[in-house]
Amino acid sequence: MEKIFTRFGDGTPTEMSESELRADLEAGTEDAADRGKIPPLTEDELNHLFDIFSSPYKFISVEPGQEIVLTYDGAHVKIRRHGLNVERIQGLQIYEKVMGADTLELCHVDYSFKPIKPIVTFEQPVMEQALLTTHAPMFYGAMPNLGLYSQPDGPFPNPAELMPAGKIEEAQASHELAVKEAVRDIVFVGSCMIECGADGINIDSTGAAGDADFLAALLATQQLKEKYPHTCVEIGMAGEFILGMHAGLEFEGTRLAGLYPHDQVKLVEKAGGTIYGPVVNTNTTESTPWNVARVVTFTKAVGEVAKIPIHPNMGMGVGAVPTCDHPPIDTVSRASKAMVEICRLDGL
Amino acid sequence: MLDEKIIEEAKQLILQQNKEEAAKLTQKVISEGTDPLELLKEGFIPGINHVGDLFGRGQLFLPELIKAAATMKTVTDIVNEAIADDSEKQQSQTTVLIATVKGDVHDIGKAIVVSLMRANGFVVHDLGRDVETDKIIEEAQNVNADIIGTSALLTTTMPRQKEIEEALKSAGLRDRFKTIVGGAPVTPRWAARIGADAYAEDAQDGVLKVKELLAQS
Repeated sequence: MEKIFTRFGDGTPTEMSESELRADLEAGTEDAADRGKIPPLTEDELNHLFDIFSSPYKFISVEPGQEIVLTYDGAHVKIRRHGLNVERIQGLQIYEKVMGADTLELCHVDYSFKPIKPIVTFEQPVMEQALLTTHAPMFYGAMPNLGLYSQPDGPFPNPAELMPAGKIEEAQASHELAVKEAVRDIVFVGSCMIECGADGINIDSTGAAGDADFLAALLATQQLKEKYPHTCVEIGMAGEFILGMHAGLEFEGTRLAGLYPHDQVKLVEKAGGTIYGPVVNTNTTESTPWNVARVVTFTKAVGEVAKIPIHPNMGMGVGAVPTCDHPPIDTVSRASKAMVEICRLDGL
Repeated sequence: MLDEKIIEEAKQLILQQNKEEAAKLTQKVISEGTDPLELLKEGFIPGINHVGDLFGRGQLFLPELIKAAATMKTVTDIVNEAIADDSEKQQSQTTVLIATVKGDVHDIGKAIVVSLMRANGFVVHDLGRDVETDKIIEEAQNVNADIIGTSALLTTTMPRQKEIEEALKSAGLRDRFKTIVGGAPVTPRWAARIGADAYAEDAQDGVLKVKELLAQS
C-alpha cells in the first residue's frame, strides 16, 4: 500500500506507512490509558481506527442513522471572526438554518460571566429576540474565567505573582476569594438569562484557571439548579485534567486537582449538571492518529460512567483537531467519525 | 564518578522540593572536588524532568512545582558559579548568546542550557528572561556571538522567535549568526518554518546542535 496521508497535531501534513500508523494508534491509546488509569482501546477498536485513517477519501463521515446532536459554542463570534459581517442573531440563524446546528448559544464577545454582569439588561432583549427568530434550544454561554478576579483585572492579589514569590498560602486564599465572587456572578447572569427565556446556561471553558475555576462552575451549577430545577446547565471543560493551581480545593469531599474527564463527569452529575462537555487536548508534536486514539480512549471511558449526556469538544486544539487557524476537513472528519463510532456520545 | 546514592539523593531532593538540603549536597560535591555537572546532569535534571512529567500528568500541582523549580534554580546557580570559577574549562572561543524571549518569564530550562554549554567550553552570555528582540540582536553584536539561542515556553511567545529571524534579515545580519530555538511548545517544524538554523529538544541537544552548527560553518 502507498503511504497514508495524515497530519501532525499542528496541522502539518505527513505520510505514514501502515506499520507506523498502527504504532501511533497503539501509542496514543496507551498514553491515555497510562495517564487516566483507564483501559486502552481493544484490538477491534484499533482496527476500526486504522480503517478510518487508511481511507483514501478527503472527507469521511458516519453511516446514515448514526448521526448525533451537533452543537456549537460561541458560534456567532466565530462567524464574525471569519469576516462575515452579520449581527449575533443573524449568525445564530445561519448556524441553525444553514449549518444544521441542533442547539445554539448566544454569548457576548467578552466571553466571561464577570463583564456580562453590568450589561446583562442589554443582553436580555437580544436573548428574547434570538428566541423569537430561531427554533433550536438556546443556551446563554460564558466562561467562569477566574483570572478576571485577581489584580490587575480584579480585586484580589494575583496568585500568579504570589506563587513564584513563595507566598503559597496567600495565593491559595486569593483563589478561594475569587471562587465566591465568580459563583455570585455566574448565578446572577445565569438567573437573568433563564428568566428571560434561555433554555439553558453553558458554563464554558471551565477549569481554564485551574481547580478554583472548576469549583466555581460546580457551585454555581448547584445554585442554579436549586433555583431553576428544570433548566439545563452544561459544563464544558477547558482541558483534559484539572490543573492544581490551588491544589487543595474539594467538591463534596473530592479533591479537584488532577481529575481526568471520567472523574470530572461524576462531579458534574453531583452538582446537578445536565450536560457535560469533556475536553482532551491535542498534542501538536504527535500525529493525528496518535491524538485520535488518545482522545477516543479518554472519551470512551467518560461514556461508560456518565449518567448524563456528554457532548465532547471537537475544535481547534482539542478532540484531536489540529491546532491551526483553519482545521483541515480530512482530520476533523476522521476524528469526528472515530469519536461517534467508538464512544457513547450524545452530541459533539 | 559520583556515587549512585548521591545521584538518587539529588533526584529525591528535587521531588521533595527541599531547597536547603539540595544546596548543601551541591556545595558538598563541589568542596570534595567532584564534578558538579555530573550531579546536575545525572541527579537534579532527571529529578526536575520527573517533576515536570508529574505536573503534565496532573499528579503534582502548581505549589509543588513552584517549590521544586526554586530548588532547581538554587542548585543551578551554585553549579554555574562553580563553573564560572573554573577558567580552564572556558577554552573555546565559541560564543553563545542565550535569552528567553519577550513576554516569557520562564528560565529554569534556560539556566540548565547555560550550565551545560559552559561545561562544554562555550562562552555563554545569558541575557535572562523577558528580553526584547532588539536587545537580543544588539547584545549579540556587542559580544560578537556565534550563536543566538532563544527559549519560548508559551505558544503566545513563540512568534518572538520568528520576529528575531525577521529582524536579523531586515538588519542584514542573518548570515552573521546561527540561530537555535527551543522551549516546550517549539518543534523542529516550527524551527524550519521560521528559518532558524536548528531546534534543540533539551539542554544536551542544545550542546550537540551548537557543535553541529560550528562544524558546518
